Amino acid sequence: MTDARRFEATVLPLLDAAHNLARWLLRDAAAAEDAVQEAALRAFRHFDSLRAHESAKPWFLGIVRNTCFTALARERGRADVTLLDEDAWDRLEAQSPSPVPDPLAALGTRREQVLVDAALRALSPPMREVIVLRELEGLDYRDIARIAGIPIGTVMSRLSRARAQLKRQLSLAGLP
Amino acid sequence: MEDDDLCALLRQHASRHAAGDGLRARVRTQFTLQAAAQAPRARLRWRERLARIRPALAGVGGLALGVALTLSALLIVPRLHPDGTLPDQLVAAHVRALQVGPLYEVASSDRHTVKPWFQGRLDYAPTVLDAPLREQGYLLLGGRVQAVHGRPTATLAYQLRLHKIDLYQWPATPGAAPETLQRRGFNLAGWSDGAMQYWAVSDVDATELAHFASAWRAASALGGRQASPGHAEIQP
Repeated sequence: MTDARRFEATVLPLLDAAHNLARWLLRDAAAAEDAVQEAALRAFRHFDSLRAHESAKPWFLGIVRNTCFTALARERGRADVTLLDEDAWDRLEAQSPSPVPDPLAALGTRREQVLVDAALRALSPPMREVIVLRELEGLDYRDIARIAGIPIGTVMSRLSRARAQLKRQLSLAGLP
Repeated sequence: MEDDDLCALLRQHASRHAAGDGLRARVRTQFTLQAAAQAPRARLRWRERLARIRPALAGVGGLALGVALTLSALLIVPRLHPDGTLPDQLVAAHVRALQVGPLYEVASSDRHTVKPWFQGRLDYAPTVLDAPLREQGYLLLGGRVQAVHGRPTATLAYQLRLHKIDLYQWPATPGAAPETLQRRGFNLAGWSDGAMQYWAVSDVDATELAHFASAWRAASALGGRQASPGHAEIQP
């Protein structure tokens, strides 16, 4: 098997998890796809940092996560793109749909999904990150610590704060 | 609500965003491009070096490390490689901008925004054309400064339907005769107006790129160059 094939065999099965994480962190379809693509390129360049017998999932999700947080920081600072005219803003707006759920689409979806998604979106990105990794991706504390680059104790305290906030918001909304 | 209830709610009801077919296809294409770009000689050299430094990695790990390092090196090599011809370098720069960006550092379809942006970034004032090209379907997306032949070069990004056209320009007197070429599936068109040398690079077909070149030359002859960079626009 060539290196490219070996790399493909490692990373392609992780694209769903990568995209889910990116989409939850960035809350935007186009930005999430860009981030996953960029992360795949970075992973390819740093394939050496994946040690033998090491699980590929936390390794790759760590790269995805860093790419997303860089994108979030860039979005806040707008550091490398100068936007001066209306056309450019309009183009950007058209590309990034509002993160607020579309009420018409919500009618077709189950109420629980709308409420749970809204509660998740309301979390800050670091809290959303640990919840998505733990509850949606089913990763253990050690892997989450490695992905987010924080100690296991911080993972646990962040998870418990995130859970408390989610419970509060979902109870207010009348769930379960 | 207990933790268990919350977990059940999240697991059952939270949206899961699977990667779409388009994304999958793009990532695969990217791998293929990267794999094709690997230089066998450079890889061998890195492998040998690695075998000496880290015997443990000399096997499979060394090969992977070699590929990864070769790829990072490849991003720099086109600029430093003495044999890289100008067309090859232009295509490499274009591909790099498409793959890892940025396609533009100033996003605007207005030349009075794009042109002043270059002030202080280059030691020349590039020609920027918007409306005359837009009428023909070429939308100005923005501009950036990109290294070509080791020199910071004014680059304008245009869009024709879904295709991107990069226009590189730098001062050159006298300019070279107009020419069109093809490299790795990309088309290139080069021309000069006596003061500037221009190169357009894109994946549009050769006829359309030639049309872009002639539209540009016609518009710039009609006074595109009169737009001086002198007038002030406040930059954030």
